[in-house]
Amino acid sequence: MVTAFVMIKANTGEADRLRDSIESIDGVRSAHIVAGDVDLIAKAIVETPAEVKEIAATHVQSIEGVEDTQTYIAMD
Amino acid sequence: MRFVIIGAGRVGLRTARVLRDEGHEVTMVERDEPTRRRARDQGFAVVDGDGSREAVLEEADITAADALGALTGDLNVNFTACMIGNHYECRTVMRIDEAYREGIYRKYADQVDEIIYPERLGAIGAKNALLGGTIRAIADIAPHLQVVELTITDAAPVNGYTISELHLPADATVLAFGKGEAPLEIPTEDLSLEDGDRLVVLADFDVLSDVRQLLVGETAALAAANAGTGSSSAATELLETEPERDSESDSDTGGVN
Repeated sequence: MVTAFVMIKANTGEADRLRDSIESIDGVRSAHIVAGDVDLIAKAIVETPAEVKEIAATHVQSIEGVEDTQTYIAMD
Repeated sequence: MRFVIIGAGRVGLRTARVLRDEGHEVTMVERDEPTRRRARDQGFAVVDGDGSREAVLEEADITAADALGALTGDLNVNFTACMIGNHYECRTVMRIDEAYREGIYRKYADQVDEIIYPERLGAIGAKNALLGGTIRAIADIAPHLQVVELTITDAAPVNGYTISELHLPADATVLAFGKGEAPLEIPTEDLSLEDGDRLVVLADFDVLSDVRQLLVGETAALAAANAGTGSSSAATELLETEPERDSESDSDTGGVN
């Protein structure tokens, strides 16, 4: 099992829509709108590191209004 | 009143100056030494440290403050400072760094009472200066509400009317009136509206264009003469300062020509 956190920088004020789109991605357990330099943080739990890449690079990045992502894989 | 201002940079220092000029007490928090020195040279009390730390804010006497302005360029610091300020029952004002975040923070950041996006205000000011016309945006009150100052022209449909005869659209209200060059004051009903008089109006974006037509008139030649730019679309364009768009450039400039 791989747990990962994806920091998402948006370029739209439609934070609700982004959160809902991100939460509907397979493997994403939760997504939160946060204050600070990034706008949302999603937590994913999947089987392989490749699936983490799939979530961050393919699914999240393709949502309109997502400017950039940064992914952290948990070590514990 | 007593204020704590986090960040003594261009936004924080200027805010502190305006507050002090109006007789308020201001303590600043700044972690950068040269910036701190500049503020101290201007006579401000400046606490050295990170405004997102409670101990630092306590040193700035947050317990006695009425309001906290988190005006650094760092969103994390600003938000955290507002959380602490909120805990100390201060009114909290947070500076944000990008236009699209305005709506997000207004909606989700319960700890923050007011959001400031200085670039938007700067852009409105710059645009007004460039246009030099008969309409001037004063402030965005809410996503759909703006306060504007309009100068009556000879060609205005209401030229010669009195205030009581003036019928603005439903979503617009006259806030103040200035006869010619005289200072603005609360309008009384029998004042007449004449060329060169100024009206400050609170209006919904949907009706701003109607308001402009009524108060300024809209022949192309006149608009050009008033604006001194040869552009008849100048005043109209100003009215299109949109509330919530995705594109940052839109929000910053209030529409491009």
